[in-house]
Amino acid sequence: MLSYILRRLLLMIPVVMLISIVVFFIIQLPPGDFISTYAAKMATGGEIMDDAAMQVMREAYGLDQAWYMQYLKWIWGIVTEGNFGYSLAFNRPVSDIIAQYMGLTLIVSLVSMLFTYVFSIPTGIYSAVKQYSFGDYLITAIGFLGMATPNFLMAIILMYISYVYVGDPMLGIFSPEFVDQAWSYAKFIDFLKHMIIPVIVIGTASTCDLIRVMRGQMLEEMEKPYMLTARAKGLSEAKIIMKYPVRAAMNPIVSTLGWSLTSIFTGATITAIVLNLPTQGPVMYNALLSQDMYLAGTWLLFMAVCIVLGTLISDILLVWLDPRIRMQRKGM
Amino acid sequence: MKNKIILMSLSLLITMSALTGCFAGNAKNTANTANTKTNTATATNTVQKSAGGFAEAPMLQELVKAGTIPAVEDRMPVKEDIMIEPTFESIGKYGGDWRNPWNGPDDKWGIEMITEEPLFRFKQDGTGVEPNVAKGFDVNADSTEYVIHLREGMKWSDGQPFTADDVIFYWEHMLIPETFGKALYDCYYSINPETGEKERAEITKVDDYAVKVVFKHPSVQFLERLAIDNKWFFAPAHYYKTILPEFIGEDKALEVAKEYGFNDTKTLGIWTGYYYWLYPQRPTLRPWVAKNDANSDRFVMERNPYFFKTDSEGQQLPYIDRIVLDKMQDPSHKLLGMLAGNIEVGQFDFKDFTVLKENEKKGNYRVLTWKSPAWSSTGVQLNQTTEDPKLRALFQDIRFREALSVAVDRKEVSEIITNGLGEPAQASVSEGLPGYQDGWNKQWVEYDKARAEKLLDEIGLKWDAQHKFRTFADGSDLSILIYQEKGEDDKFIELLRKYYHEAGIRTELKIVDSGTFFDLKYANKVPATIKSVSIVNVALRPDELVPLRVITPWFGHYGLYSSSGGKEGVKPEGDVAQILENWDKIKASTSKEEIAKFSDEIIKLHQKNQWIIGYTAPTPTLTVVKNNVKNVAPDLVSADEFRGIGVAHPEQFYIE
Repeated sequence: MLSYILRRLLLMIPVVMLISIVVFFIIQLPPGDFISTYAAKMATGGEIMDDAAMQVMREAYGLDQAWYMQYLKWIWGIVTEGNFGYSLAFNRPVSDIIAQYMGLTLIVSLVSMLFTYVFSIPTGIYSAVKQYSFGDYLITAIGFLGMATPNFLMAIILMYISYVYVGDPMLGIFSPEFVDQAWSYAKFIDFLKHMIIPVIVIGTASTCDLIRVMRGQMLEEMEKPYMLTARAKGLSEAKIIMKYPVRAAMNPIVSTLGWSLTSIFTGATITAIVLNLPTQGPVMYNALLSQDMYLAGTWLLFMAVCIVLGTLISDILLVWLDPRIRMQRKGM
Repeated sequence: MKNKIILMSLSLLITMSALTGCFAGNAKNTANTANTKTNTATATNTVQKSAGGFAEAPMLQELVKAGTIPAVEDRMPVKEDIMIEPTFESIGKYGGDWRNPWNGPDDKWGIEMITEEPLFRFKQDGTGVEPNVAKGFDVNADSTEYVIHLREGMKWSDGQPFTADDVIFYWEHMLIPETFGKALYDCYYSINPETGEKERAEITKVDDYAVKVVFKHPSVQFLERLAIDNKWFFAPAHYYKTILPEFIGEDKALEVAKEYGFNDTKTLGIWTGYYYWLYPQRPTLRPWVAKNDANSDRFVMERNPYFFKTDSEGQQLPYIDRIVLDKMQDPSHKLLGMLAGNIEVGQFDFKDFTVLKENEKKGNYRVLTWKSPAWSSTGVQLNQTTEDPKLRALFQDIRFREALSVAVDRKEVSEIITNGLGEPAQASVSEGLPGYQDGWNKQWVEYDKARAEKLLDEIGLKWDAQHKFRTFADGSDLSILIYQEKGEDDKFIELLRKYYHEAGIRTELKIVDSGTFFDLKYANKVPATIKSVSIVNVALRPDELVPLRVITPWFGHYGLYSSSGGKEGVKPEGDVAQILENWDKIKASTSKEEIAKFSDEIIKLHQKNQWIIGYTAPTPTLTVVKNNVKNVAPDLVSADEFRGIGVAHPEQFYIE
């Protein structure tokens, strides 16, 4: 097992390298570079940048070199000094920016993930146990609605409702009066209030998905003969359900846990823009738009690492969780 | 079991919130300012005058009592040199926050204009400039020698004296060596009338409070040009001597740059030298100064205790304590904030007019319509130097431009696009602005399909086999590619293309982001675009009407020809060449009358040729003000030259 993990980890290095090259190449593909985007932005503010001024900035940022030179310099910095480069838009090291936004990103992602699992697993169980009841139909209907509604639209609808009934669209993560205050009880309550919409919006998309998966798996398990045996032995219905089919049904959910790694670190981008959440998503989206090479590159590299690592974790989890897979491996 | 889960999730939440506390380190700096703010709110009504007859904000009184800063009369210039800022409605009172969301440092010019204190500023009626940071000026008869007087005893926001040395320092160590990455501005050159060559001015110190600017040839518009090109003709020498490589050596300067977060000293020079108002370390003369990192989620600017202006009763300005800039991901958030009553003063595009008006009562604000110096609210520009030779010849044909102008029903455009507020009109100079031509706005405005058809026939354009679209005379396909920057004027473009297609002119549309558009423009790849021009006075800001560099789409690479000195680009001919000749005459003029005359010539050439076609009159810029904010004039001109909201003198705004 250990050598398997080690082998997989070693294989990750060339994969991530390759991804990073492709990523860097693609970022600089669109016409223009950071400076031309910047000059266009400044022009709307009335500032006129002539060729000479643009040239000075290009030289200062090293953008006058070929893309592969920029790439080599960047990757060399990462490998030798752990330096992820320098964000042109923020004028500071990339690692600083990622650190600035990481805290809130983690909170929003983890809380909405928690919401997803805490809500969807019991609901899925209920809807399987009470198959074809009114509750099951209701959950199914809501589930399909939730899956079909784009996140950002849901965010807009909830913001509208909040604006009409509470008088505040609940933008951002704190009310204006709390933004620059130290943590206090009132601020915490305010924070919880502002978390309602993002958690519902980001959470529901995967919640509905999970409810369906859970329900399907449960229904399959409940047909199995061991259920009959357990009932015949006189175990209480609650105990039977919780102890056997639920455990089995959890398998596919646990095995996809690894994939959510990326979404935890990046956060939901469009929803975050709509809700004005200070998380990684919008920052990176802007970096891509303005061709802020190193910031966008680092972020995509980071995502690549997360995906590769997530897949590995999923594989390991599966082996650990499902004896059948373990057995097969041993047999080999 | 259930309890455990609840407990676990709760504790998880708490640890995570503690985590953010650590990450959001830069929020800590502002915590103190928030406390002082609550103090001021309670004490606003008890403004006491000091021994010198001046009053100051309660938050500053506290600091004086604590001994952190000197008394108010010691912080301001000597009594006769204090600038008295007229208040628009009434004498104000101290306190409050001006919440004004922005989109982060990319939005820096918005807050710059609000807090700007130039040496000379434009008068509110736009007729010329008046001294601001400068106390006054003397000029000799032939406009070659200017003596600019400064205010005695005036101080930077860190309390250091502001003197002529700061002007000379800026000139010698920042402008000439291009420390902040900009070539020396045109306003510092005078033109030799014989050779047409530019010659640089000499700037010398007269005494501690006066500098002399000497030109070799007359420079009639120096002060106006200064107010546009280089508003802040001064820099704190004592500050730059601690950060620039010239003074502390390259190695030490690199260390400083790293401290600020920069990667190299050049960038340090550009950002602290040019975009300086974003840096709390950099002393300024502005009414509000930066208090924390501009990249944080909330950027705060707080009153400058050393500000040099008072109201007529001797109360030191500004009235408002802080400007609070929360970061917004999308412009629509600003609109939403305004509707919810969370913004004191903000400016909006005309497209938000309906929604702002609908919510005026509920949001408790008033919508002021400031005049815009644009030539039209909907219009089109055809690149006179476009690459395709057949298309270029067509675009240069005045009959074609007339055909495109009369092929559109302006009444319908006005109703659909501007709610009827932008009247049907040709792109032209609005009444009341320099260069106004009577009747111009009625040129080619009648919707006349037959006339358009006749003009296109005269040019020699043929029909294709289906008699649907026009072709060139030789039967080859004719199609105009319209490039448009993302997200603007979608409805209008659709309407415009409908009319053009009815007239038999095929169009294609490509929507690109602003960076790409910028590059396409430089490469002369933009045949047509939907854009108007906005300009107060061509003599002061010629960029959009005179092809001096690549910038406005209608003159395309004529601009490159001028900026490269004839090495690249397309050589201007005919009326465009005449525009440039007139511009050269303006630069060498010796009197304001001459300048007015040649400016008028340029405008008349534009009237004759109508290179910029417009369909509806300009719509106003919306300045939206909460009802409890006072002293905001309702009828100003919102122009970049006049610095946006800045023209209303925000230091005398107050919150009731």
